[in-house]
This record gives sequence, C-alpha cells and structure tokens, in this order.
Amino acid sequence: MADPYPTYDVLAKRDSASWDDTTRAVVDRRLSLKVPEGVLSDTQLATLRMVKARVCPDPEGRPPTTTLAMVVQRIEEDSTEGFRHHELPRTSDAWRRGLDAIEAEAQLRFGSPFADLDGGQADAVLRSIEDGDVRAPEWESLPPSTFWTWRVIPDLVSCHWSQPSLWSAMGFGGPASPRGYVRIAENRRDPWEALEERSTSPTGWPRHHVR
Amino acid sequence: MSAEAQAPRALNGQAPDVFTPGGWVPMREYGEEEVDFLIVGTGAGGGTLACKLAEAGFSVVAMDAGAYWRPLEDFASDEHEQGKLYWNDDRIVDGDNPLKLGANNSGKAVGGSTVHYMMVSLRFRPEWFKSRSKLGYGVDWPLDWREMWTYYREVEEALSISGPVTYPWGPKRPRYPYRAHPLNGPARYLVEGAEKLGIQWTETPIATLSAPRGKAHPCVYRGFCMAGCSTNAKQSALNTWLPRALSAGAEIRDLAMAGRIESREGRVTGVHYRREGEWRFQKAKNVVVAGYAVETPRLLLNSASPECPDGLANSSGLVGKNLMVHLNQSVFGRTQDDARFYKAPPSLAVSEHWNYEDAGKDYHGGWCYMPPGPLAASWARLVAGKGLWGQDLLDEMHRYNNAVGLKMVGEVLPYERNQVTLTDQADEYGLPVPRITFSYGENEQAMIRHALGFMDQALDVVGITDRWQNPDETAHLLGTARMGSDPATSVVDADCRSWDIPNLWICDGSVFPTSGGVNPSLTIQAIACRTGDRIAELARRGEL
Amino acid sequence: MPGLPQPSDKAARLIAGGASLVASSVLADAGIEHYRGSFENRAMVLPLAGSALSILTDTRLALGARASGGTGALAMSVHAANVAIGAAGLGFHVYNILKQPGGFTFGNVFYHAPIAAPAALMVAGTLGATALALGKGASRLGPVPLASGRSLAGFAAFALAGTSAEAAVFHFRGAYHNPFMWVPVVVPPIAALALGKAAVTGTVGRITNPALTATAVLGFAGAAFHAYGVSRNMGGWRNWRQNLIVGPPIPAPPSFTGIAIAGLGALLLMRRFARG
Repeated sequence: MADPYPTYDVLAKRDSASWDDTTRAVVDRRLSLKVPEGVLSDTQLATLRMVKARVCPDPEGRPPTTTLAMVVQRIEEDSTEGFRHHELPRTSDAWRRGLDAIEAEAQLRFGSPFADLDGGQADAVLRSIEDGDVRAPEWESLPPSTFWTWRVIPDLVSCHWSQPSLWSAMGFGGPASPRGYVRIAENRRDPWEALEERSTSPTGWPRHHVR
Repeated sequence: MSAEAQAPRALNGQAPDVFTPGGWVPMREYGEEEVDFLIVGTGAGGGTLACKLAEAGFSVVAMDAGAYWRPLEDFASDEHEQGKLYWNDDRIVDGDNPLKLGANNSGKAVGGSTVHYMMVSLRFRPEWFKSRSKLGYGVDWPLDWREMWTYYREVEEALSISGPVTYPWGPKRPRYPYRAHPLNGPARYLVEGAEKLGIQWTETPIATLSAPRGKAHPCVYRGFCMAGCSTNAKQSALNTWLPRALSAGAEIRDLAMAGRIESREGRVTGVHYRREGEWRFQKAKNVVVAGYAVETPRLLLNSASPECPDGLANSSGLVGKNLMVHLNQSVFGRTQDDARFYKAPPSLAVSEHWNYEDAGKDYHGGWCYMPPGPLAASWARLVAGKGLWGQDLLDEMHRYNNAVGLKMVGEVLPYERNQVTLTDQADEYGLPVPRITFSYGENEQAMIRHALGFMDQALDVVGITDRWQNPDETAHLLGTARMGSDPATSVVDADCRSWDIPNLWICDGSVFPTSGGVNPSLTIQAIACRTGDRIAELARRGEL
Repeated sequence: MPGLPQPSDKAARLIAGGASLVASSVLADAGIEHYRGSFENRAMVLPLAGSALSILTDTRLALGARASGGTGALAMSVHAANVAIGAAGLGFHVYNILKQPGGFTFGNVFYHAPIAAPAALMVAGTLGATALALGKGASRLGPVPLASGRSLAGFAAFALAGTSAEAAVFHFRGAYHNPFMWVPVVVPPIAALALGKAAVTGTVGRITNPALTATAVLGFAGAAFHAYGVSRNMGGWRNWRQNLIVGPPIPAPPSFTGIAIAGLGALLLMRRFARG
C-alpha cells in the first residue's frame, strides 16, 4: 500500500506551537542516535539489522530511522519495562541468546548467515520462530515464540513507531503541546493535521495542511 | 530517563511547584524525627491520604520511589520518552495469562499512576459493596454505599471532574463540578451504536478540566493522556492532593524507595528506605502502605520478622492473594470516515449498561465500555499483536486514521491463586523481585465472550467493517490486601487499619475485596478520604 | 445644512451605532466559529458578508451621513437580508444540533452550532433598519410605529434577554468557574426588565438608564475578560490559533454593548415623544 500522506511531514511542525522545547530535545536526541558500539558482536548486530529490516521496514521515501540504534541501546542498558515473562531472561540476555539462535537457525536451514539470506528466506526463519517451529539447539534455553511475542515484536515495534518518519507515513499528528487540537469529531481536521491524498471526505477550508 | 530527574528535588525546605516551570513551593521538613504518619506511596491512595491527614493536623511524611515532575517542563509529547512515568523495575509474570505491567497499570512518580491515568472517574454500583449478599458472588465490603456516595462527592469536587449534567444509571448523584467535554470521533461512534442498540450512554465523568481551575489549564485535546499531561489539565494526585498536602505541612520525599518496615512487639516503628544512594530509617508512630497491589504486598512480605515470619499483617495468609485486574479486551475495526483517535482524551463516552443490567448474563459481575485512543507506538503494538509484521504491518498502520474501537473495563473475581509472591532474585535496590501470577477463571472467559460479542455488534451497527478482537488486555491492579469485617478472611478493616498491627495501615487499590466493573481511581481516592476522616475521628477518641 | 446631522437624527445615530456594534460582533464571532466549522456548508459565509455590509451602512449612518434614496434602499435590503440570513441560520443551527449523535443533549448544545447565535444577526438587521427609517424621518418601519420609541425599547429588551440567556448557557458550560461569569446573566436581565417595563408603560423608570449603561460597559469588559480567559489556556497567546477558537469568544460580549446602546436610543425617542 502506497504512503497515503506523501506530502505530510510531522517534522515540519517542529518549530510550530505543536512542539515544545522538551519534545524538540527528545526527538532531536532520538534522530541523532548512533548504534552503540561494542554491545553486540558483529554477527549479532548484522542479524539484528536484518531482523529489524524484515519486521519493521522503513517506509519508502521517508528519512531513515534510528530504530536499530534504539534497540541496541535497550540491550546495552538492559532496560526493563516492568514485567518479564517467567520463561525469559532479562532484556539484554534474551536478545543476545535470541540473536545467536536466529543465526544458528539460518545456518541450519539455509547454510548461510541470517544477514545474507534473501527476504523470503529470512522471513521463513522468522516465521518459524514466531510459530515455535525451530530446529537449532540454541532455542533450548529460550522459548522461541515467547521470545518473539514478548521481546522481539514489542521492542522493535515500540522503537520503530517512535520515529517521525513512521508518524508521518501513518498520518499521526505527532507531538502536540502546547497546541493540541480544535476539531476533534470525525471528518474534521485542523490545518496542522495530515491530509490524506485519496481523501475526499474532510470537507471545508483550508484544504492543505499548514504548520 | 533524563539524568536530572535522578537527584531528588524535594529537599532543603522546598518542593517543585508543579504549576510553574522551574518553580518551587515551601515544604516543611521533619528530618529523621518521629512523625505521626509515614506514608509509602503518593498516588491515588497515599497522595490523597497525605492531604487529608496533613489537613487534619498530623505530622506527615509521604515518600515515593519515583521522581517529582513538573509536567509543564518535564513531559514531552512522546510515548517513548514518557516511559519514565511507569514502574519499569523488573517483575516476573506467570500463570495462564501473565499480566503486562509497566505502562499498562503502574506508575513510578510522585503522584503515582494518576500522573498518567486515563482519568475515568466512575462510581461503583451501590450493590457491589455487598456483592456477596445482594448479587451472589465475590465478598462483601465492610463499607456502606451511602457513606461512599458522600466521599465520591468529595473527590469529584477536589478534582473538578467534568461530567454529564445528569447521570443515567444508579441512585441520584449531584451534578458534576465541571461540564462534560465535547465528544471526539470515536466517542461519537459509541453514542450512535448505543442509540441503535437501544441502550443508554453518557459522556464519561473524567478528571481533566473542561474550564480553567486555578493555575491549571483546561484540556487542549492533545491526546497524550497515557504519556502524562503536559498542561496540568489532568487532575492527578500530583497537582491536586499533594499541593494541598504541602501547604498543610506534609513533607514529600521523592526518589525514596521503601525496602522494609521495622516492627517490634506488635507495632511498627518506621521504614527503612533508600534515597540518594544510601539506606535510611524514618521513625513513625503510624505507617501507611500505599504502593498499589504489587508493591504493597511486596513491602509487607519483605518486612517479615521473627515475630511475623510470613510478613506483616499477614496472620490471615491473604497478603498478596486475591490479585485482581480489570478485563480490558477490545474490538477494533475500520471506518470510511477520518476518525483519528489520537485526538482528545480517549474514553470520552461510556456505557455502563452491563454494569447495571443483570439479566441475560451467564457470568457474575459487570463491565462498561468506552472508546480507546492508542497513539502511534501503542497502536503499532496492538496491530502487531494480530501477528502482523513487515510490510503487512506497515500497510495496516497506514490505515491508522480510519480505525475505531471499543474497549471494556470488566470485573475480575477474586481468586487466591492469583497472587504476588517474592522470588529469590534481587533488584537494583537489593530487594527481592516480585512474581505476579495470574489466570482467568471461567467467569472471566464468559464475560469476555459476552463483551466482545456485544462490542462487535455495537461497531457493526454503525458501519464499522474489518472488525477484529484483541482478546488479551487487562488494566489496573487490585485486591492483594483486602478489607473486610473478619480478621480471618481479610487484611485490613473498613478503616484500612491492619487487623494484626494497630499502627499499620494500607490505603490503595490493594484493599478492594472485589473489583467492580469500573476504573478504580475514584474509589481508591474516596476510600482514602474516608480513611483520613476515620483516623482523625479515632485520634479524637484516643483510639489510635 | 446638508451633511450635518439634524437634532432628530441623534437617536437614529445612536441606534445605528448599536446596530454597527452588534454586526461587528457577529462578523468576528461567526468568522471565528465558522472557521472552526471549516466552512463546511458554503452558506456559512453569508452571515459574514451580511454583517460586513451592515457595518458599512450602519457606520455611515452613525457618523451622520444622510441616507438618500438609492443607497437607502440598498441599505434597507441589506438589513432585510440579514434578518432573513439570521432566521435561516437559526434553523440550520437547530438542525445541526439535532443531527449529532444523541440529538438534543447538553453536550451537543454546548459544542455544536450555537443555537441562538444567528439571532444576533437578526438583531443587527432590525436595529439597522430601524435606524435607517428614523434617519429618513419615517415614523414607521413597515407596520411598526417607531416614533414613540416603545416598540424599539421592547425589541431591545427582548434582544438583551436572549443574549443573556445565551451567555447563561455558555457560562454554564464553563461551570461558572470565575464568579464574574455571573455578571452577564444578572445585569442585562435587569436592564431588559426595566426597558421592557418602559416599553409596556410608556414611562421610563429610574434604573433603566443606569442599567443600560452598565450593560453597555460590561459588554466591553466581557471582551477583556474573555481575552484574559484565552490567555489562561495552554500556551496562552502564543497558541492563539487554538486558543482564540476554543477559548471564550472575545467578540461575543460587545453585542451586549450594541443592544444596550440601541436601548439608550429608544429611551431618547421615548423622552422626545413624551415632550411632544
């Protein structure tokens, strides 16, 4: 499906009343994040990069994301989120074991590093983890589908949809303080909200989006 | 988490002024001297009680493990950054339906989870206070609904609740202090659906301002409620009860983690807590535990002593038991309209029909439903929960602005097997990591079936297509130190005073014997108000 | 002396001034509110055009210009059109409320098309037409006798009461969070009662003039209060694009002033009539 909001860029509102200094600082920091070094081995990092690309691809025609760096930072800080499935180790351990197991699974199935697989092959490996249908012995200490549901998906998806490029692509209003919204009923839109390309329904004026 | 938040702010005779960037208000300090009341936790229970007790003239120290934020300058419009408001410490979850905690139902900040709650302020149905005798399930509360009605009113006024002019269910209640908010798109679908199905609905009584109040701004409908309110429109313990507590002479200690309650000869003497990197001890004539339904039993269990080997106040064996949540299942679908549920607080309209209608149910208890309003990352996690990833996920996310839904808040029955226990793993403070065990019973499964079916219908009749169910969400934490009339089957009495230790009190959601089909914050605060009045009364009679 | 007002024009000029103020209030208020409504219906521009034309003709008259034949007829048709647009607007606004989910509820009355607002345009049109007729020296407007001032006094009393009722509804929406919000629901009704009594009895009571003057003052004070109200919203004036729309409507209260001034004009007519 094509990007429904190709002319909408949430970052264009950065200097408007929709953003405050606190938010500007937070998003600036996120966008300038670099992948921390020395946290993962080269193979683990290459595997994670591929997992990220398959599970959370960047939308076309949008500035690149720093999702990968955010996830590596989570691993580095061993961040907790207030609950941990009893079959899983802590964040950092779970990811390291999981990435090694994904690599082993790829080697076992396709005789190639996970990072070198084509998209279809990589997806097949990931699908087997999701379904719990794995062969590599590395999974013995890590239940694959629990790892997938409780660690891989929430971490990747939370970080990815913290990215302005993804906000723009989904037509999300993004930061909104001090200015919030005036027109909140359905088919009503403030001038500083995204306008969908195909849209015919939101009537009225102005017909474009402005900051 | 931002580094500056890691140093306590409430020090040197002043506390942050939540209404002014960089501002301060004077704060009385008690040092280590013995105070009348030491309250652990400053959320809906502890924050409210701190205010009531300080205003009644007691010396009060209230401590919280979280930071003391100034919403206007500290809260970003960003879901990820605002993760700093949640209780993110390591906790292990198990059972058939392991609970999601953290962002979902906890807070670690001065003001507790009211700093990011959804503000839905519903009263209990009167019969729920006697659900065993009147409705045939659960257990009776030792409280009378008529008395609670007056305390509900006190909280509604303290929070300037915005609500409908008349309320369609239950006994008559006074008009809400502030008028209801305008309805956003998703709420309007709920209204249309309810009208088509011939059931009643109303604008949700909600703790966000529809007009200015003092220095607090009215709501600007920015929709980041769950990420903390950067305008102070949200009426939380942080910007209502605690400023009152401070001006009445209470001291608030931020970033102070309680580890152990000291007890001797059947009485508690104070609390060991960690602040600024070291363990300290605060003496108190009375200790109130208000840490919510995980931290409260955790602290009581971790305070076991030779006198109380099973933990404090635990002669009944029920500390940590009967953990309840609310069923929070939802149905989503797609509309041709531009619905944009990121705007305005979610939950602006509600139907309590199935809280007040008992006919036609094959289960006990009630539930209400409201429209949810997930922001980008929350919505992405929900959609990914359907098993979507890769391009499929990206495509589905493109349809965000056409999504609408309905979400239940449903009563969970108390089961002893659902519980909080301690593990032998240690956390960053050296305290044992808690284990939270939870499984639905048959009653819950039956309620979920009914509610999902009904909400599906309520979306269908307003033309919502491509509907799908999210069968596995919960909200809130209740019931691990229940109140009752019998020391053998409860932990505290109606005044939130522990049966075993007369100067140990528990005042938060843990004291709920049953959960009711509504969000609990209003009831927690009403109980805290009552407890405050009762303590003042007991003190007058010399019975403290 | 052509171009200069005759003494008999004084009341007409006062009434025209009042009409001009009411029209200005309508122009600014409907401008903001219909912008909020995204001009979803093209007819939403009509009250803007009508009130703008009304301001032009009323202000000319208020400044003492004579209404000669051609421009007079044109001006009269503007006023007639405004009464018609206002009446149609009333219907549209009621329809707008009724078609919302839930129908005629407090919430929909509070937050959808303000039910009585278009009546202000009818008031502006009526006052403008009255001023025009009086300025031309006519003693009647259609079938309505003007010379005694009693009909105008009655109309102004009714308009004040209606405007006050509207303020009561919207200040109720604001939960009367500021005690000053009671003023416009207390003072104008006193003026309306006094003026109404004058219309019925033909004699002007002592409090009528002070009450009307107080109402005229509070109209402007209300605008200042509303400006303060806007500043209390999140982001204050920096966030004007939101707060000017969702905050208390700054242009609304001066319509009290406009009607009160017209009421004072009616008193002038009544006194002159009494003197013969």
